[in-house]
Amino acid sequence: MPEHSPTAKWLRHVLLIIVPVVLVAALLPHVYSNRLLLFNFIVFLTLAQGVNIIYGFTGYLPFGYVGFFGAGAYGFAISVMHLHWSPFPSLVVGALTAVAIGAVLIPLLRLSGPYFAIANLAAALGLAQIVANPALQGITKGPYGVSLNGIYQPGLSYGTSIVILVFALACALYLRHSRFGLALQAVKNDPISAAMAGISVVKARTMAWLLSALIAGLIGANFAWYVSVFYPENVFSPDFSIFAIVFALFGGVATVTGPILGVLLLYGLYNFIGISSPQYFQLIYGLLIMVLVLFLPSGIGSLLRRWGIHVV
Amino acid sequence: MLTYSILAGLLFGLYFSLIGLGLNLIFGVMRIVNLAHGDFVILGAYAAIGLFGLHAISPMAAAVACLFVFTIFGFPIYYALVPRLLRSSDPEMLSIILFFGLSQVIEALVNIGFGPTERSIPGRVLGTHPISVLGQSFPSAWVISAIASGLAVLLMFVYLYRTRVGRLTRAVMVHRDEALASGIDVDRVSALAFGIGLGLAGVAGCFAPFMLGSVTPAAGVDLTIQSFTVIIVGSLGSPLGTVLGGLVYGVSLMLMQTYFSSWAGLLPYVLLIVILLARPSGLLGRRIRYA
Amino acid sequence: MSSETQLGLDHSPSTLQPLLTVTGLVKKFGSFHALDGAGFNVKPGEVLGLIGPNGSGKTTCINVITGLYRPDQGTVLYQGKPIGGLPSHRLARLGINRTFQVPKPFMSLTVRENVEVAQSYGQAGGSADDGLKDIKILLEHLELDRDMNRLAAELTSAQQKMLDLARALATRPKLLCVDELGAGLNPSELSRVAERLRGLAKSGIALLVVEHLMDFVDQVTDRLVVLSAGKDIFSGPLALAARDPQVIEVFLGASDEH
Repeated sequence: MPEHSPTAKWLRHVLLIIVPVVLVAALLPHVYSNRLLLFNFIVFLTLAQGVNIIYGFTGYLPFGYVGFFGAGAYGFAISVMHLHWSPFPSLVVGALTAVAIGAVLIPLLRLSGPYFAIANLAAALGLAQIVANPALQGITKGPYGVSLNGIYQPGLSYGTSIVILVFALACALYLRHSRFGLALQAVKNDPISAAMAGISVVKARTMAWLLSALIAGLIGANFAWYVSVFYPENVFSPDFSIFAIVFALFGGVATVTGPILGVLLLYGLYNFIGISSPQYFQLIYGLLIMVLVLFLPSGIGSLLRRWGIHVV
Repeated sequence: MLTYSILAGLLFGLYFSLIGLGLNLIFGVMRIVNLAHGDFVILGAYAAIGLFGLHAISPMAAAVACLFVFTIFGFPIYYALVPRLLRSSDPEMLSIILFFGLSQVIEALVNIGFGPTERSIPGRVLGTHPISVLGQSFPSAWVISAIASGLAVLLMFVYLYRTRVGRLTRAVMVHRDEALASGIDVDRVSALAFGIGLGLAGVAGCFAPFMLGSVTPAAGVDLTIQSFTVIIVGSLGSPLGTVLGGLVYGVSLMLMQTYFSSWAGLLPYVLLIVILLARPSGLLGRRIRYA
Repeated sequence: MSSETQLGLDHSPSTLQPLLTVTGLVKKFGSFHALDGAGFNVKPGEVLGLIGPNGSGKTTCINVITGLYRPDQGTVLYQGKPIGGLPSHRLARLGINRTFQVPKPFMSLTVRENVEVAQSYGQAGGSADDGLKDIKILLEHLELDRDMNRLAAELTSAQQKMLDLARALATRPKLLCVDELGAGLNPSELSRVAERLRGLAKSGIALLVVEHLMDFVDQVTDRLVVLSAGKDIFSGPLALAARDPQVIEVFLGASDEH
C-alpha cells in the first residue's frame, strides 16, 4: 500500500472536503432563495462537527451541547446591547463566553460517560433557566427575548457562518490526522492505558472539550447575528443538541465526512417532513437511534468502511 | 409558612421517591441508565388522562392498571433491548443513547396521539375537600398521591425483602456475575425488575397531573432529570436511598419555591451536578465510577 | 522486613544503586488492606519476580508504582526521588511503564498507531519524533510487524499482550512492570517471551515481574520477593524460596482453599 506523506494526505482531504462545501454553501444562495434553510444547514453541519470532536474523540456525549450555542448567542447579544460593539468583536465575545462556560464545567470531565451526559444536560437546562430568569432582565432581557438593532446583515453573517463551518471542518480534519487526535482516541479507548502511554488524560479531554465549546459558541454567536431577534427557548432549544448528536451518530463519529453525511441526509429529511409534522420526524429519528445503537453503533460510516469505501 | 413548606415537601418528596424508585431498580439490577424514564411516567400520565376523559375511570384504578400493563410490557422491551446492550462494548454509554432514542419515540407517539398542548385532570377527582395533616391543610389530591406513593414504596420493600424473587433480585443487584454463577436466572430476574421499574413509572405517571399541575409530551426530560437527582442524592442502587433522596429533594424544592421562587427551577440541576461532583456516592455512600 | 537470605550468592547483575525502592507500602480499600507494609527494591538490569497467592497484593503493588493508585502510607523511591502519588503519564515520561494482566490495547487503533501514540507521548522529555523505522524494529522483535496495519481489536489475546508490551517499550522505560504476561501462553510462546524479557534486562532495563507460573518465574527472574496479605515475607532466589517454611505455608495454605 503506497504511503502518502501525512501533509499530502491532509492537503488532499482539505481539497476534497472543505473546498466543495465552501463552494456549495457560497453559491447555492444565488440559485436557491431560502437562505435561512441553507443557514440552518450550515449551523447543523458545524454543530455536528462540534459533537464529533467531543464524542468521536473523547467518548463524552454532550447532551447539553446547546448550552454552548446559547451561551455564544447571548454573549454576542450582550456585547451588542451593552458594550455596543460591532458584530465581529461581538462574535469573539460570544465564542469566549461559550469557552468560559466550558471552563466552568471542566470538573464534569471527571465523571464517567453516562453521568457526564446527564450532568451536561442538567447544566444546559440550568443555564437556559438562568438566562431566561426575569431577575436577570437587565442583562439578558430575561424571558422577553432579545432584539438586536442595527446589525442585521444577512449576507455578511451568512458569509461568516461559512468561515466558521470551515474552521470546524479544519479542526475535525486536524484531529483526524494529528498525533493529538490519535492521543484523544487512545484516551477514549482506554484512559488507563493512555496514561501509561504518556498522555495526560485530563489535559487531552479538556482541550477537546474547550475546542468543541468554542465551535458551538462561534456558530451560536453567528446565529444571534443572523436572526437578530430571538428568545431564550430559541437558542437553548434541546433540538440543537439532539439533532447535532443524532446527525453525528448517524453519519459516524471520529470521521469528518460522517457528520456531514448525517446532516445532509437527516436534516434534509427533516425539511421534507419535519417542519409541518415535527412529531413524525421525532418518531423517525428516535427509531433510527435505537436501530443504530442495536445494529450499527458506529454509524453509516462504518457501513461504508465495511463495503470497502475509505471514509475520511 | 415553614411548617407548611416542610410538610408539603414531604408529601411531594414521597411522590418523587416513587418516581425515582423505578429508575433506581433498573439501574441497580442492570446498570442501565433508562433515559426514557420520565417519558414512561408521562406515558402513564396520558394513560390516566385518556382513561379519565374517555371512560371517566378514576386515576387510582388507572394506576393499578398501569402497574400491570407496564410491567407486562416491560418483558418484551427488556428482551428486545437489554441482552444485546449488555453484550456490547460499552453498555452504559450505549444504553443512554438507546433509551434516549426510546424517549424520543415515546414523546413523538404521545404527541401524535394527544397533541402538544397541556393536559390535566381536575383535582376534585381525587377528593373535593382539603385534607388536614398535622394542622396544615393540603389539596386532597396531594395527600392521596403521597399515600399511594408511600404504599407503592412499601410494596417495593416487601417485594425486595420478603419474596423469593425479591431476594434473588437483590443478589443480582449486589453482584451480577456471582448471581449468574450461582445459577440464578439473571435474565428473568432482570426482565421482571425492568418491568416493575416501568410499572412504577406508570403508577407515578397516573398521579403526575395532580402533583405537577399539568403535563405535556415534552415534560419527560425534566422528569428524568429530577428522577436522577433523587436517586443520585440518595445513592444509586439503594431503594432506601431513593426514598431518602426523594424526601430531601421534595423538601428542598418546596423551601426553594416558598422563599426563592424564581430560582426554584434550578434546584434539580444544581443539586445533581453538585452531588455528582462533591459526593457522588450520595447520602448513603455507594460508589459511582469515575472516568 | 523480609528475610534476606543472601548466602553469598549475588544474583543481581550489577552492584549499582537500586532503581526502585519500595518501603512500608500501605494501600487500603475501605477496611481491606491490599498492601500492608510491603517493601523491596529493583536494580537496573535486574529481573525481580513478585509472587504470592491470590489477593496478596501483587497487582496492587504495580498499580501503586505505576500511578494508578496513590499509596496510603510508605514510600516509593525511583532514581532516589519519591514518586508516590504522581500520575501515570508523568511516571511514563520518567521511564516507568507496565503491561496489564488483561491486555489493554487501544482497540480501535491499528497496531502501528498503538505504538505510535506511546512513542510520541511517553518518552522522557515529552514528545519525540522517532521514525516509523523504530516502530518497525520494535514490532518485528515482538512478531507483530506483519499485523502493523490491523486493528488491535482483531489480534489474538496473546498478540494483544505483546502489543501491550510494545506500547510500554515504545516509551523507552527504565523500569518495566510486567503483570502476569505468562497466563494463557503455550510453552513455546512462554520461552520466547522469557527470552525477550531477559534480553530487555541485558540492555539495562529493570523488570518487575508479577507471575503465577513458577516455571516462567524460574526462566526469567534473578531473584524474587514473596508477598502475602500485602506484606513481603521473603526475598531471594527461587530455589531458596521453595524451601522457606513461611513461603511454603503461605502457598500451601492458600492452595488448600481452592
